[in-house]
Amino acid sequence: MLSFITARQIGLDPPVRLRRAESARRVLSLELNHDREVERIHGNGINTIDIEVIEGRYMLSGGSDGVIVIYDLENNSRKLQYTCRAVCTVGRSSRHVHRFSVETVQWYPHDTGMFVSSSFDKTMKVWDTETLKPAEVFQFEGNVYCHHMSPIARKHSLIAVGTKDPKVQLCDLKSGSRIHILQGHRGEVLSVRWSPRYEHILATASADSRVRVWDVRRASGSLFTLDQQNGDQSKTSTETVNTAHDGRVNGLCFTHDGLYLLTTGTDDRMRLWNSSTGENTLVNYGKVVNESRKGVKLTVSQGCSPEFVFVPCGSSVMVYALHTGEMITTLRGHYNNVDCCEFHPDYQELYSGGKDCNILAWVPVLRGPDTEDEETAKVKAGASAAVNPAFEDAWSSDED
Amino acid sequence: LQFFGIFIYIFNLFSLFLCKADGPPDVKATLQYLMTLFPRKLFNDSLPQIVFKHQLYSLHSDKTLVDKQVNELRDKGELLMFQLGFGSDAFGLVFSEDYRTKVLAMEDGRSTLGTVEKFLDKVLPGCSDLSFSKDKMLKHFLFTDSEITQLVKSGVLTVRDAGSWWLSIPNSGRFTKYFIQGRKAVLGMVKKSKYNEILKNDLQERRTTSHVKLDIKYHIHDIIGAELVECIQTTSGTLLRFVDT
Repeated sequence: MLSFITARQIGLDPPVRLRRAESARRVLSLELNHDREVERIHGNGINTIDIEVIEGRYMLSGGSDGVIVIYDLENNSRKLQYTCRAVCTVGRSSRHVHRFSVETVQWYPHDTGMFVSSSFDKTMKVWDTETLKPAEVFQFEGNVYCHHMSPIARKHSLIAVGTKDPKVQLCDLKSGSRIHILQGHRGEVLSVRWSPRYEHILATASADSRVRVWDVRRASGSLFTLDQQNGDQSKTSTETVNTAHDGRVNGLCFTHDGLYLLTTGTDDRMRLWNSSTGENTLVNYGKVVNESRKGVKLTVSQGCSPEFVFVPCGSSVMVYALHTGEMITTLRGHYNNVDCCEFHPDYQELYSGGKDCNILAWVPVLRGPDTEDEETAKVKAGASAAVNPAFEDAWSSDED
Repeated sequence: LQFFGIFIYIFNLFSLFLCKADGPPDVKATLQYLMTLFPRKLFNDSLPQIVFKHQLYSLHSDKTLVDKQVNELRDKGELLMFQLGFGSDAFGLVFSEDYRTKVLAMEDGRSTLGTVEKFLDKVLPGCSDLSFSKDKMLKHFLFTDSEITQLVKSGVLTVRDAGSWWLSIPNSGRFTKYFIQGRKAVLGMVKKSKYNEILKNDLQERRTTSHVKLDIKYHIHDIIGAELVECIQTTSGTLLRFVDT
């Protein structure tokens, strides 16, 4: 650590290198901390959480009972022990609450005045945060599995929606229209994600084992389909030719720079793809247990030097190194299946929610005090008479 | 016979560092070690030694590097990969010279010898595909229909789909049968143990039933590499715990 600081000071390293190395070190030391909790409001499992990007202060969560809660993550209490309190709730008593489970929630990318939630009651609601009333309701024919709004879009305000219908629908926030559809999938669409690099690129994952990448400005079909064999048609049986996974594809995540795309499927595999060419980078993560019938919400770290992937697997969250595929650690703490996880980029914290109705906060362990020289430590100990001689370290490495 | 001594040495080296090895993985040496576990006498020496790609994962921790090195060996023409027919991820690996010698030895005296030789000389050195389509066989490699039938008869190609064939190892049906039987039996041994877990050293010492015809160490590398059991490091050695999926 000191070497990093010195190198930055004298100009050997660019400043971002120290930041990235320290972020990576913090992610490697994530663990459950009994000083930090999130207030337990949900009475049923938590399906989705989202942290707003502007301040990183407010977190949305959607549960299986249709309830939506907003938490304040910031610690203003000056105490180490802190519980993240719920600021407001759209509870079962509200007139506008979703009738069935909420599958995806997302803050409006540009401010916290608005958020969008979609649910198994076949609706997607755009809420006003002040009044907690829906400003717009979009009705669909089938269960809505997921939706996503582009985090960088300036020229459009489209929400991509994945439902039981193989057609991906694009809803326009400004006009309320829903006529734009993307055709190509043959099974229900389990996950949709906009690219964080180009505002017109969208990736969709479906139960028909295919992942398609679209440019929404194009009138004809998708740009390309991800092929796990990279075009080598000889390696697998003929049914799985040109598929991204050998089962349903239920998790999609772009890396923060938008250059790579991660997909997970029910064939217990996770794959990393180059997002511009669609090439499978063939990074082998091993068996990533995936039994989810709905979408899996995985997330990638931001701003760390080797990036990390956090995948909910069963009742734990697995952490893998992004580019080497090495399994770093398993975060165990939930009592039941983990459904979603979200990374807080400013503090390198991970929040995960699951069927046990808890949201757990995984906080990096604080760095211990550096061991100073023996002489200075002894001088300090002699100076402060408060040290009880019984606790003094009487062990010495020298025999004489 | 002098190779036997080298294999014993490598065997001892690896038995000390099983489950995690440091430094860049030497996949070729690991393959040679794993090949010694294959029982040649059981098949009367007619089959080349077959190893599974996922058995390598039980000896090296970085799967991506292992995959890369295997692909490099295949591109050089030293290693052949086969889709053995059960599970899309179970790839069998055979050294090319072994494969050649065994196939030619088996074909000796048969009418299909000429076609098989032609196939081994023309197709295998350049092309590292696992399967061949009819188009490719007829137009690219210039085989006739009757020659393709002869290749299927000799066992070098097996039917994959209408108009395409997998590359295969002749007479490997018995091996596949014994392997699946043995894998089920070894997994059953782990499952029946108290708490569904057993120390790896204990499992190696266990007496195997008649269902397990291959070496138990071969099966242990297989179940660890395929992640059918979880590998946990304890103070008394490696513990294998059955993974319930």
